[in-house]
Amino acid sequence: MGNFLRQENHSRLRQWAHAVWKDPQKYLSIFSISGLLVLFVIYPMIRVLLEPTTVEWANLFSQSRWIQVSKNTLQMTLLSTTTATLFGFIYAYAIERAQIPGSKFFSVVAILPLLSPPFLGSIAVIMLLGRQGLITNTLLGLDVRIYGLYGLWLVQTMGFFPMAYLTIRGVLKGINPNLEHAARDLGGSRLHIFRTIVVPLAMPGIISAALLTAIYVIGDFANPMVLGGRFRVLATEAYMQVQGWYNLRMAAAISIYLFAPTAVLFVLQRYLLRKGSYVTVSGKGGGSLGYIPVSRAVKALLFFLCGVMASAIIAIYAMIIYGAFTRVWGIDFSLSFANFRFAITQGRNIWNSVSFAAYAGLITAFLGVFTAFTLQRRKFFGQGILDFAVLLPAAIPGTLLGISYILAFNQPPLILTGTLFIVIVSMVFRAMPMAYRTATSGLSQIDPSLEESAQDLGSGIFRTFRTIILPLLGPAFMSALIFAFLSSVNTLSAVVFLITPDTNLATITILNLIEHGEWGQAAALSMIVLGIVFAVLGIFKATLGRSLKLFDI
Amino acid sequence: MSHVILKALTKKFGDFTAVNAIDLEIPRGSFTTLLGPSGCGKTTTLRMIAGFIQPTSGEILISGKAQQNIPADQRPTSIVFQDYALFPHMTVFENVAYGPRAHKVNKADIPKRVAEALRLVGMEEYPKRYPKELSGGQQQRVALARSLVLKPEVLLMDEPLSNLDAKLRISIRNEIKELQSQLGITTIYVTHDQEEALAMSDEIAVMDQGVIKQLDDPQSIYYRPVDRFVADFIGEANLLDGRIVSISNHHAECQIETGDSFRVHLGEQTTAFRTGDAVTLILRPEAITLTQANVENNTLPGEIIRSVFLGSTVRYWVKLGSETLVVNQTKDPLTSIPKGKTGIQVHPQWIHVLPN
Repeated sequence: MGNFLRQENHSRLRQWAHAVWKDPQKYLSIFSISGLLVLFVIYPMIRVLLEPTTVEWANLFSQSRWIQVSKNTLQMTLLSTTTATLFGFIYAYAIERAQIPGSKFFSVVAILPLLSPPFLGSIAVIMLLGRQGLITNTLLGLDVRIYGLYGLWLVQTMGFFPMAYLTIRGVLKGINPNLEHAARDLGGSRLHIFRTIVVPLAMPGIISAALLTAIYVIGDFANPMVLGGRFRVLATEAYMQVQGWYNLRMAAAISIYLFAPTAVLFVLQRYLLRKGSYVTVSGKGGGSLGYIPVSRAVKALLFFLCGVMASAIIAIYAMIIYGAFTRVWGIDFSLSFANFRFAITQGRNIWNSVSFAAYAGLITAFLGVFTAFTLQRRKFFGQGILDFAVLLPAAIPGTLLGISYILAFNQPPLILTGTLFIVIVSMVFRAMPMAYRTATSGLSQIDPSLEESAQDLGSGIFRTFRTIILPLLGPAFMSALIFAFLSSVNTLSAVVFLITPDTNLATITILNLIEHGEWGQAAALSMIVLGIVFAVLGIFKATLGRSLKLFDI
Repeated sequence: MSHVILKALTKKFGDFTAVNAIDLEIPRGSFTTLLGPSGCGKTTTLRMIAGFIQPTSGEILISGKAQQNIPADQRPTSIVFQDYALFPHMTVFENVAYGPRAHKVNKADIPKRVAEALRLVGMEEYPKRYPKELSGGQQQRVALARSLVLKPEVLLMDEPLSNLDAKLRISIRNEIKELQSQLGITTIYVTHDQEEALAMSDEIAVMDQGVIKQLDDPQSIYYRPVDRFVADFIGEANLLDGRIVSISNHHAECQIETGDSFRVHLGEQTTAFRTGDAVTLILRPEAITLTQANVENNTLPGEIIRSVFLGSTVRYWVKLGSETLVVNQTKDPLTSIPKGKTGIQVHPQWIHVLPN
């Protein structure tokens, strides 16, 4: 019996060896992708999990300070997620279903926060509503404390509703308009149809958007940093532990604690996506019956609400521009170029941001497309685990990723801390889930028979990738490239742990300026970063035209 | 009185006239089909009757009552969509109950009415299933039940069979037809499938470019099309250009391009033609007999250039001058398929003549 089993094992091994021998390229690509994921996602996570001792855990769950911070984080998450999701739904419904006038304009405005450094809203809110705020102090003469929960709630709602809007809009778009017509034909009133058809069908999308938004809110580092004041949350506290006390153990404990809810939300969202929305249930189209028009009153109300949200976003950018050209905000509002003269001295950090992000963008796009190609088109053991590992960084708060990299790479076998390499790697794996998703959806448009034909004609996996997949996935590759570039230019929470004076970045310089109350200089530097982002986007959009799909523009 | 009346019904989308002043009267209890190629305006017409699209001008009357200002949810019509539009988040029962609930039907009556509608379409066993758990044919039946449960005066169907495979399409179309005659419900049916239209309809309105070309019963449409478009669109037709050389006794001699002539029966149309008129002769593929015997009887010489064996029939391509005629012949199991020179024989009554 035992002998038989051993033989069975032996032949399994031989089968496997035979498979590798027959298609070495396939296994080479699987091994290299797994290797990268193990090295830069799994290993750092394990390293950080092992760091805290029982002392840190005991402190975290017993000291009133940490209990308060946890409560704050929870409170902030619930409030901001709710409003961001609600506004996201209103915005999506108004643009996609109600087709309010100016839909195109509103959809472009909503994208702006996604292209900008994360603390922009906070700077603008302080400049408008803070102690020396344009409205509160200069115009109304009030002494308002915007720092804290309410300020955070405001900027997070503004900053994160676009994410919810995009998710929900995608789901609304997928709902067959004929369902509403059928409901109306059967005698349903508009309100009845909204209640019984639209909302239930959009619900998976709404919940998914809420989970996604919650992950962003919990992981948000920039806004609490700038606007939190005495209202402390977990993401910034972890940073304080490193920065103020160099207590890496406590920082690790806090950031793992932060990861627990985002991981749960991430798994929930994935489950929800897989279980599926109701998008593709019905048969092929019934022609061009558009949406049922909403009543004038509803349309007017939606237009007003979207107008308020869009104005708020535009106000942010107006404030940044105004602030950049103002001598001393709140005291001397005369115009000046002084802030820009300072910003130019930071040229090196700006260059670092742009060049690192460019490298990261290229690597991410290539890796994203190659990973999608390898994981989506082949059956092999451990496929699901790899898929999960590629997407996992989407759930890892930047703070945790940064701390895990410090812990994993400042000691043998691999010492990378202090190098620009580690900065770029962190950018790559932060942007990887989105690049992978973009490539996966692009790949699903390409019939597998094309690859089979290439294979049939004698092409190996690498040649097929180079000659068939890459050219056909061109648009997806470019979208992934630009997204990764943008996300890397604007990134803050992970790299803040990894930079050195030599590898300093623009976003971190801006954060330091804000901490020192240099609003004008921060605004000027932000404007330059924004200018670069929009210039890059503009150039790519002009050369690639319609084939470049980034969000909605 | 007609049940549904369309008067000069017109729909323009910008510069494009989708439906151009059509008039149509539909008798109570009849099955009327709007048939035409895509873009002919049939679906737009149906959607105007349902109330989803407002006509640019013209009138829609149902039981004598103008419908233009009545919203879709209050019209005595119910529509079955091409993609069924079943609510994916509701069970079969809930889908069918949606209409009665929206109409505030007494709650206690709803299960009975739903069960009755499901029984009509043979779906009474699956009330708890979700649409995605049903086959295409079953989804189709549920969509029909969902419309029938409201007992609409007029049932509208928009290409309801086009998502089904060929065999199922035939069996379901027979079921729909049977149910319709049993319930006596006035039905307006849209399709681009001429065979479906011929098989199901009491009356067919053939549409092209926004107008009704011909309104007639299926056999008249098939045997006496009013123009080349209808002849070509319904079934298969060989169209030959010809000229009338003589008329006598309700018959005409029509000379074709080869110089030979066919004798055709004009019947009641006799007065419409004069000697010397240019005409089009319409010969259905099954109306032609290929004969090897040297007979005088309305037979022209031709040549078989290709043939395909299709089981019960053989399809021939036969050269007649510069034209190639398509001919379908029942296959005689005892003889082989002929080749080469042949006689093309047509009964004078089986040739339909159109003025050019």
